Amino acid sequence: MNLLDCAPSALLLSLQVAGVVLVLFLVAGIALGYALSQPIPLRGLLDALVSLPLVFPPIAIGFFLLMLFGRQGALGGPLHARLGWDLVFSFPALVLAAFIAGLPLVVKPIQSAIEGQARALIEVSYTLGKGRWETLFLVVIPVIRRHIAAGLTLGVGRSFGEVGITLMLGGNILGSTETLSLAIYNRVLDGDFDCAARLSVLLGALSLGLFMLLRRLGRL
Amino acid sequence: MTYRETSLEASLNFSRPGFRLRLDLRVPPTGVTALIGPSGCGKSTLLRLLAGLEAPAAGHIRHGDRVLFDRARRIDLAPRHRRVGLLFQEYALFPHLSVAGNIAYGLPRGSGRADAVARWLARLQLDGLAERRPDTLSGGQRQRVALARALASEPGVLLLDEPFSAVDFSLRQALRLLFQEVVADRQVPTILVTHDLEDVRQVADRVGVLIDGELRQLGPTTEVFARPADAEVARVLGWHNLLPVASWDGRTARGDWGTLRLGPGEPAAPADFIAIQPDGPRLDSEHGLPVEIQRVIDMGGYHALSCRLSDHSPLRIHLPKSAPCPAPGTRTRLDVQADTVIPLPARSTVPPFALPIDTVTLARMYP
Repeated sequence: MNLLDCAPSALLLSLQVAGVVLVLFLVAGIALGYALSQPIPLRGLLDALVSLPLVFPPIAIGFFLLMLFGRQGALGGPLHARLGWDLVFSFPALVLAAFIAGLPLVVKPIQSAIEGQARALIEVSYTLGKGRWETLFLVVIPVIRRHIAAGLTLGVGRSFGEVGITLMLGGNILGSTETLSLAIYNRVLDGDFDCAARLSVLLGALSLGLFMLLRRLGRL
Repeated sequence: MTYRETSLEASLNFSRPGFRLRLDLRVPPTGVTALIGPSGCGKSTLLRLLAGLEAPAAGHIRHGDRVLFDRARRIDLAPRHRRVGLLFQEYALFPHLSVAGNIAYGLPRGSGRADAVARWLARLQLDGLAERRPDTLSGGQRQRVALARALASEPGVLLLDEPFSAVDFSLRQALRLLFQEVVADRQVPTILVTHDLEDVRQVADRVGVLIDGELRQLGPTTEVFARPADAEVARVLGWHNLLPVASWDGRTARGDWGTLRLGPGEPAAPADFIAIQPDGPRLDSEHGLPVEIQRVIDMGGYHALSCRLSDHSPLRIHLPKSAPCPAPGTRTRLDVQADTVIPLPARSTVPPFALPIDTVTLARMYP
């Protein structure tokens, strides 16, 4: 019996979402972590926005994003009218949901590492004639690479398990925006506990694999 | 280059909750200027302000004709444009780079880079360690790599934050000598922040005493140690024998501990304290201040005696090995020579700005 025959596209979709957010996390996580460790204007506000998904209910975040990006929304309306593009109930919506949910888990370890072990090294780099970008690539990223790896692993792991925002923004459309987590939810609603159990084992194995990877990266 | 063209001049006003730093400072390009003071007095903050890692609320920083910072003219050069080398207390070596990589970090790319690194490796006695990572080095080796890195980029100003504090006592003397050799021939303003009086005595040509964010005294090292500006400065400089003065008429100081007459050459300045040099007093059974010997320590070349005066004030004196040494518990008297006593105010005023430092010192000594 195939593990995925009851939800053939869910795993692939989840992996595709994870692959895209991994790239987004790498860029945005380092950029935001670096920016939030510097004395920039509106740092407090930016920090609060990035951290919000840690404390705000995902389903509520999903609802507000749905209102924002829906066809009648402040952003979704102009996007549809001018570009004919609908974000909600699409693959980009799944990516956005996973990105927002996992971003603080990526940014916080990076920010913490920069403010801790890398701060003095950054200052040394400045006094030795290097600018912010050179310092980022020559010092910050190599020195905090373990924290970056840990943050990415946590963020991608969160994207696999994301339900609340994905449900609202992605629409939970069978075969189209049904991720692995949503597939488990849907099979339970349908009474197909056998399939739900198999998918749960698969999702659990994926999470466990990420956890093992995290531990391994921590020893690098 | 003239003295004025390359000296560092700063007038700074900086504050954060619970701390304020206000000082005027001029550091010539020759020799080493040490800054000493109690923890939290602002020594490291001053270095960070000069390096551009923190910004003062007001003031200016000039290096020769270059303006590094001027709040009024809205000039605030980024640290990378200041050419100010800073050696951090814990060295802050890049852990992912080799020794050679660390030294080369601030050097421009080009054919001369490898030669410069090799030169600095040899100069700081780091031959054979070029490919080693910082975590495999000893404390002394790390200190030398950090110094080589700071000097290799040819900074116009050199700032050193407690450079010897993280190495073993046994290594410090050798590092101080090496430091003097390497730094002495560089005609750049050099500031050494330390809490170790031995660093100041052995390395610094001038010393500034920083207390509560104010530069209380700045001048040639031997003169500052010999003539502290006030009692607080004297404590920082290791003067143990400070006695409060209850009454003072310009020649005689009185307190609960007794009465001392000072020499005719002493200025009639107000005195809140008197400082007694530990080598000055001699034991005398008939004249001087009554004391009880508490403890005797053999210091090798002399005996250190911990005494208590009649009001229980502690006093520490040094007796040559050749002199008879009383046992603990002995009650005797101390004959204190007038020329070993210095009258001091409790707190002095801050030196005026815009005078060359040696003139400041002279003005303080001969008002």
